[in-house]
Amino acid sequence: MNWLNLFSAVCLLGGAASCLFGAIGLLTFPDVAARLQAATKPQTLGLILVLIGSAVRLDFRDASGLILVGLFQALTAPVLAQLVGRAAYRTGSVREETLDTDDLAKRIERERDRTL
Amino acid sequence: MADQARERRSTRRRGEHVVSRKHPFGRLVRRIPLLVWLVLVWLLLWGTYDPGTVFFGVLVGVLVIASFPAPPIATDIRLRPLRLVQLMISLAWDLVVSTARVSWHAVVQGPRARAAIVSVTLVTDSDHLMAMVANAVSLAPGNFVLQLDRGNRICYVYALGCHADPSARVRGEVLAWERRVVRAVGTAEQVRMVERGYRGEVD
Repeated sequence: MNWLNLFSAVCLLGGAASCLFGAIGLLTFPDVAARLQAATKPQTLGLILVLIGSAVRLDFRDASGLILVGLFQALTAPVLAQLVGRAAYRTGSVREETLDTDDLAKRIERERDRTL
Repeated sequence: MADQARERRSTRRRGEHVVSRKHPFGRLVRRIPLLVWLVLVWLLLWGTYDPGTVFFGVLVGVLVIASFPAPPIATDIRLRPLRLVQLMISLAWDLVVSTARVSWHAVVQGPRARAAIVSVTLVTDSDHLMAMVANAVSLAPGNFVLQLDRGNRICYVYALGCHADPSARVRGEVLAWERRVVRAVGTAEQVRMVERGYRGEVD
């Protein structure tokens, strides 16, 4: 039981640390797209670790719902990132000076030239 | 170009519809995996595994499928369980590594963080594979698919973190995800396509 407790503690603390770094990134990154990386993604790992950490301490009967929480988090986080990221790009909230290359802007420019 | 692709897809969809109308039983059989999935979710939500719960799960599942009819989707997906497990392990590993990397960027670089938007043309041409690749790329921190051009098979990927050559790195990563996804669920022909692309890259 001791090892189980240790494993659970490592998972819970790791998950909490992951969420903490996400919060730090949210404060320090320069624009919406970069903050999105910090705001949504480390939470995915953090949540899954917290779920594992609590699941090993519970009966399977009580823990089975946690599987669904983790699964749906992993399925929906990328969709959210794509939607918010695209909206940010279209409204000009992605700061161009932070980008090394921007193939999408080149494409949009090409299409615009073609239609004019 | 995009119009052509749309036209091609719409004719394919019409074809599927005709096929499904001809074989009403085939349509029912195609719904069974969805029903099994719904019952599984029901069981996990209740946390009890007795015949009564299964019975009501099936009842609710049939009701849900009957009241919200989804269009029949023909997939050319072949499941390879071992490769699927490999894909999941890579996803989990990538999640850990990328979280550490983005955390490092957040603390060390912060406001000076650099990013890039890179266009990647996929090797295979399938709605489902493209969706799965986009999801795999977007799951881990650091990268996400900003925009898809389905007709031309192009993903526009936003990648965080400074690199000497971001385009080459992102292209390599996305194509590696495509290879893993195709090996897990693609047809034999699609697997050959990605393997060929892979060898071409090495040479």
